[in-house]
Amino acid sequence: MPAKILHLDLDAFFCAVEELSSPGLREKPFAVGGRPDQRGVVASCSYAARRLGIHSAMPMSRALRLCPELVIVPGHHRAYGEASKQVMERLEAVTGLVEIISIDEAFLDVSDLPESGEIIARRLQTQVMNELKLPCSLGVASNKLVAKIANDVGKKAAKGNAPPCAITIVPPGQEAAFLAPLPTEILWGVGPKTAARLAELGIHTIGELARWPEADLAKRFGESGADLSRHAHGLDDRPVSSGHEMKSVSQETTFVRDVRDDQMLEKKVRELSAQVGRRLRKTGLAGTTVRIKLRWPDFNSLTRQVRLVSPTNSDEEIAKAALALLGKARAPGKSVRLIGVGVSGLGEPVRQLLLWDNGSEKARKLEATLDKLQERFGDKVIRRGRIPEPADEAGDGPKNVCGRRITSNLEGYPSATYQGRTIYFCTEFCLEAFRRDPDRFYLAHSRKRS
Amino acid sequence: MKAGRHPPMRIDTIIDERIEAMKVTVLQETLAHGLSIVSRAVSPRSTLPVLSNVLVATDEGRLRLSATNLELGITCWIGAKIEEEGSTTVPARTFVDLVGTLPAEQVSLNLNTTTQSLNVRAGASNTDIKCIDSQEFPPMPVPEMDSAFQINVADFKEIIQQVAFAASTDEARPVLMGVLMNVEGDKLTMAAADGFRLSVRHATLSTSAPQALSAIIPARALNELARITAEGGEMISMVLPKGRGQVVFRVKDAELVSQLIDGVFPDYQQIIPRAYKSRTILSTQSLLKACKQAEIFAREGSNVARFNIKSSGDLEPGSVEISAQSEETGSNETIVSATIDGVGLLIAFNVRFLREVLEVVRSPNVALETSAANSPGVIRPVGSDDFLHVIMPMHLG
Repeated sequence: MPAKILHLDLDAFFCAVEELSSPGLREKPFAVGGRPDQRGVVASCSYAARRLGIHSAMPMSRALRLCPELVIVPGHHRAYGEASKQVMERLEAVTGLVEIISIDEAFLDVSDLPESGEIIARRLQTQVMNELKLPCSLGVASNKLVAKIANDVGKKAAKGNAPPCAITIVPPGQEAAFLAPLPTEILWGVGPKTAARLAELGIHTIGELARWPEADLAKRFGESGADLSRHAHGLDDRPVSSGHEMKSVSQETTFVRDVRDDQMLEKKVRELSAQVGRRLRKTGLAGTTVRIKLRWPDFNSLTRQVRLVSPTNSDEEIAKAALALLGKARAPGKSVRLIGVGVSGLGEPVRQLLLWDNGSEKARKLEATLDKLQERFGDKVIRRGRIPEPADEAGDGPKNVCGRRITSNLEGYPSATYQGRTIYFCTEFCLEAFRRDPDRFYLAHSRKRS
Repeated sequence: MKAGRHPPMRIDTIIDERIEAMKVTVLQETLAHGLSIVSRAVSPRSTLPVLSNVLVATDEGRLRLSATNLELGITCWIGAKIEEEGSTTVPARTFVDLVGTLPAEQVSLNLNTTTQSLNVRAGASNTDIKCIDSQEFPPMPVPEMDSAFQINVADFKEIIQQVAFAASTDEARPVLMGVLMNVEGDKLTMAAADGFRLSVRHATLSTSAPQALSAIIPARALNELARITAEGGEMISMVLPKGRGQVVFRVKDAELVSQLIDGVFPDYQQIIPRAYKSRTILSTQSLLKACKQAEIFAREGSNVARFNIKSSGDLEPGSVEISAQSEETGSNETIVSATIDGVGLLIAFNVRFLREVLEVVRSPNVALETSAANSPGVIRPVGSDDFLHVIMPMHLG
């Protein structure tokens, strides 16, 4: 009995929520996002705007060039969060097996329900529309990969200025045939680089990829080669996991002004590593893979990772690995817009002991002591000498962007560095808002203090 | 500078007096084998294009193939019918791939020196490869093999295999990427350590070395040497040319030159435990199998496997429970019967480290000496004291 997997995606979600409060926007080209003169980007845009070639993540200035009459709506992220919660609650009422991928996307495993996937999909679509006035599209297939691609394809096929409200079904057994004519880029794990390498082999469609010998793909692409081949055949056995099990711990920061100073970046990497290390130690975990994420001023991003001999949750070890990766990925003096440090491959904190101690045991004890002090007396009671204190509380404290205050410790919250200070935000949305117009919030806050 | 073993004068004469146009015939199989030996020293992504090439040169009635990445150089000599002397450097990848697909018959190599184009013919196949003048190839040292020291032990290949794997791959600590080689009188000792484990092997030379020597040789070079050394007692000569910081190994038809690693090798004697609290004797193969199984699950995470050494009184045989688990794939446990002298202990090891050492233990039984969960474990072959391996355990949470 094949599985029944649904992929649900809310249609132009942020825009749909905006239309609820401003019905005048309906069927007009508009975009939710930041101001073009503040490096704003399109977070979401209406279908009318999409017809004109505008898409999310596009710089707003470019979107305006494509469509000068584009209406720019500042985001109301609390409203989106609330609406998303309402949708997900309805999904969870259908089955316990709901994997929420993002604010507007989820997988459902409905294999155990008696009705067909299609009937469940139609019912959900109607329910979300009737009760929440939100359009959504669904893909139905025997696995996550095909359900998601089916939904993407179905949504793209829709024309006109109204939301697609598509339902696309791939019957069991038809997976490979459905995928065959599609371009390889649509598969998970096929980015522009892999696609280019495949194109060199004359592989442009998933069907061509499926016909290529798996052994050869494995030879060319390593472990992911076998996955490529399986996915191209429409095979995917990843379960829909509702578990909130932690897969990785990471911390990143977006600089309000791009940073090219090597020392400042090193300092930032050490800070981020210390935050990641502390979070790991707090949860009693350690990880074997350290990775960094970089975004350049042109918005291109890259991640680099390294597997360690033994799992770590030590600030020093994470920082050492992250700095080595940074050194390889970035030429000195190159400007950076965003930097992140993460640890994955999480498990019990076992530690490979050393034949001759190089000071790591001492460092570990120091970290444990610092953790205890910070836990008892708060973050600022003690810090490593290498990381200078933030200038004052104003710089360190959460910014009043959305009105929420962070009162507990700041770890795990998104942060930005502005005028040499690290500033924390309750959500990514607030960080984005701050980044678009830092002075507005920054000065407002400083005034309040003085 | 002309590479090769010819006296420079003779080569100059050849170049001056006529157009050199190398013309040789060689068996496909011989050429393919020679290329497989030297191509490991090719540096494919070098900024010097000639380092991606293999030097092909006629040399006293044979064909010489050489490749170098400036740290490691490998040369081998193969039988060939030489019609005209000459030399060039051929892009390694192109040449290796091409020769691999040629029919198993005579291959004729014909160099046009003006265009540096090598014509390769075999059967119906006719190829022209664009080459780089051999004058651009870095000179490979011609060692004075008179002062060579004969490593006259039958099992040098085995010695390398028992030691070199324990060397580090971390470029941050170059000394540990090497194998310490000490010779004093007729005693040869080789040792390598990566900070987590230490491998030491002793051997006796059949004749004493003329003088004591001590050098740190890159593990990579020794692994290549082991690869090109045939099984059994092939004679290996070794020279440390004075003041060059290099080592040269010569086997029957091949030569390997490597830069030595500069530095002080850690005092490994201090690391070897002098005593133990329990000595567990197990079948090498049974333990190796158990480790391989555990590794299937351990490798998903931190590579940790637990070894529960259970001593059960004087008269009854003991056992070791080896277990590993993975969040994703499952768990595995194997019980291996053992003779245990001493107390029981639960100790955790990186199971890859243990598997790697068990793969090079030749004796049917192996002893694991332990003292505490956070003290080093020692692996020794039972019935021979020429090899030992120290592994630091993993600390559990």
